[in-house]
Amino acid sequence: MDFSWNEEQRVFRQTVRDFLARHLPADWESLAHGPGSASQTAFSRKFCAHLASAGLLIPHWPARWGGRDADPWTAFLLAEEMWAAGEPRGGQYMNVNWIGPTLMRFGTPEQQARHIPPMARGETLWCQGFSEPEAGSDLASLRTRAEPVDGGYRINGQKIWTSYAGEAETCFLLARTAPGKGGISIFLIPMDTPGITVRQIPSVIGEGDIHEVFLDDVWVPADAMLGTEGQGWSIVGAALSLERVGIPRFALAARMLDRAVGKLKRSGAFVGGVPTQAARAKAACDMSRLCAYGIIDRRRHGVPAGPEASAARYATVLAERAVAEFVVEHCPDALAGGDPMLLAHHQRAIVAGIASGAAEIQLNLIATDLLQLPREPR
Amino acid sequence: MDFRLNDDQLTLATALDRLADGYREKPIEFHGFALSAEGLDQDLSDAEFFDIATFPDLGPVAAALAVERLARLPYAAETALSMLVRPHLRGGTLPRPFALVENGQAGRFVAQARTLLIRTGETWEIAHPGSGDVTAVETIFAYPMGRLTGSVGRLPLSPAEAATVRRWVRVAIAAEAAGLIQAAIDSTVTHLSDRKQFGRPLGSFQALRHRMAECAVLVGGLHWLALRAAATADDGDAALAAFQAQDCGARVAYELHQMLGAMGMTLEHPLHLWTYRLKGLLSLMGGREAQAGAVGIHCFPSETQRNGHGAG
Ligand SMILES: Cc1cc2nc3c(=O)[nH]c(=O)nc-3n(C[C@H](O)[C@H](O)[C@H](O)COP(=O)(O)OP(=O)(O)OC[C@H]3O[C@@H](n4cnc5c(N)ncnc54)[C@H](O)[C@@H]3O)c2cc1C
Repeated sequence: MDFSWNEEQRVFRQTVRDFLARHLPADWESLAHGPGSASQTAFSRKFCAHLASAGLLIPHWPARWGGRDADPWTAFLLAEEMWAAGEPRGGQYMNVNWIGPTLMRFGTPEQQARHIPPMARGETLWCQGFSEPEAGSDLASLRTRAEPVDGGYRINGQKIWTSYAGEAETCFLLARTAPGKGGISIFLIPMDTPGITVRQIPSVIGEGDIHEVFLDDVWVPADAMLGTEGQGWSIVGAALSLERVGIPRFALAARMLDRAVGKLKRSGAFVGGVPTQAARAKAACDMSRLCAYGIIDRRRHGVPAGPEASAARYATVLAERAVAEFVVEHCPDALAGGDPMLLAHHQRAIVAGIASGAAEIQLNLIATDLLQLPREPR
Repeated sequence: MDFRLNDDQLTLATALDRLADGYREKPIEFHGFALSAEGLDQDLSDAEFFDIATFPDLGPVAAALAVERLARLPYAAETALSMLVRPHLRGGTLPRPFALVENGQAGRFVAQARTLLIRTGETWEIAHPGSGDVTAVETIFAYPMGRLTGSVGRLPLSPAEAATVRRWVRVAIAAEAAGLIQAAIDSTVTHLSDRKQFGRPLGSFQALRHRMAECAVLVGGLHWLALRAAATADDGDAALAAFQAQDCGARVAYELHQMLGAMGMTLEHPLHLWTYRLKGLLSLMGGREAQAGAVGIHCFPSETQRNGHGAG
């Protein structure tokens, strides 16, 4: 058992940091409103193209698609550094983590040739059209319908909470072609297809993140379907298994906690009960980090993630919450204009327990699959 | 980063589990707090388990794993200080059992110990007590407890030795707490799976499932914090692990008893053999505020240092 980084990993992390130091503008922290904002999306297009030229966008992808088959640690180190810096890749991290790899596995040669190279060059933004007004945690109850028509499908329905939808070129959309889980299919749809309307939802989490997407008689050709009719649920299961650990949120949380404690120490306010609260937040961040590393270590050795992945996700929720609560109590001025990065973190930390599988759903999975408690009656 | 055990560590884990098999059940007739077995100490000693931290390819990580695993037994044995502190002090030559005496208070294994680590405020001393120097005391903590009552000769520890002891006592607290909490959770899961109310197992009620799941996440995290601290021997990692042990320990002990209902109040059910040992760890080394103070010093950049970014 070894808790240190090897030489190659240290060098790689430093390479990424050097890249960030060179390519993030001086006012980056006030630009980083969150990965969905227009300003950040515009920045990300240039930034990701630079990352791609430096070989730092998709190192873990197969060489055939422009990567260098790097191991899961490399991908995770990269993700940590990016998230800790405020995610300058914007929504393109989804391409890198799961959309690209899912197309490599399930796409037709034509779909691959069309969609993967722009992702590998860092030129294109996707959005994920899963959630609907009536289908949140219970995603399989989604209602958006895709009916076969001449040469393709006609899609009607509504998506909601769709990140990046206002800026994305393409949507990875789930729609129903028949009842039940086995009736869900995936469509890869250009966002400028007639019949698609996007409306931004004002939110407490920052500019431009979440949207409603309306689909009114949207016609797509048959070759927009990924996999076969009804294969959507199993493809999504495989796709999301690439994302089991989720975003390394602890990396930014820990950095923001360091910053907050630094401010408090400098102003002589790191006294009384403050160190105990700081230690609690620090422990939460490190537990989240180590639980995530446990999953990456399994992936590295070809062992399935198992229910520990849900535990790692929940540990992240605890970490985000602890740091957010610490900062709002002890550094309120930083949130009132004093520090844009602490503000951006605070605004987005609340998302950890909701997006991509709510906290309570993780707890249910942990209870059943890790502790092996009896199931809830259905 | 590599979280797998090496071959020697795996072999050790198997051997330890085999040895522990003789001690997994609370004797049905035992209705007390401190359950101990001389045979267990002897078995561990015969197999040289107390020295594994010093063996190449095993080391402190293996020792921490052993402490964690042995804490899962219903029997209280003096493993944590012997396996994790003793090897780092005076070449590992001091006689065991070890015990900690803090600010004149009763301590675990004090009446059995051949080496006492004595902390008075920030001053550390060691002593080798005779039978007239210590008195066994009955307590609710599920350890054999004792008090230093005689005026035994004490030798001061150097500042470097004191720092070493502080660090490894913290690792020992964390590793032992991780094992105690895991065993207490396992015992509670069994109860929640068997016991039915309202026509269904208690464990199918989400109000309990979620709290159990939170406990599982906390102990999973503590496990890694403890092993990391053993591996890095870093003062910050050790303080953080001990902080987490004491911070979540109090909460988990309460939660688990609550979920057992009145059965959790009895001495018949074994739960207290883990939770009331855990309670005995909560105040050690000044308790969580003191660990937090150490975390504040060792884990956060100092006042003058500029915050570097990143995950390091
Ligand atoms: C910032 C952000 C970005 C997002 N981006 C996207 C995106 O790009 N694409 C997309 O498709 N979706 C996106 N989502 C949606 C996200 O996937 C959903 O919010 C999530 O699945 C939860 O669904 P919901 O919000 O409808 O909550 P609900 O399912 O209504 O849940 C509300 C509360 O009830 C709890 N709950 C639900 N079911 C149970 C149960 N069985 N037992 C106990 N408690 C339960 C939940 O845990 C939660 O606390 C995003 C969400 C956020 C916040």
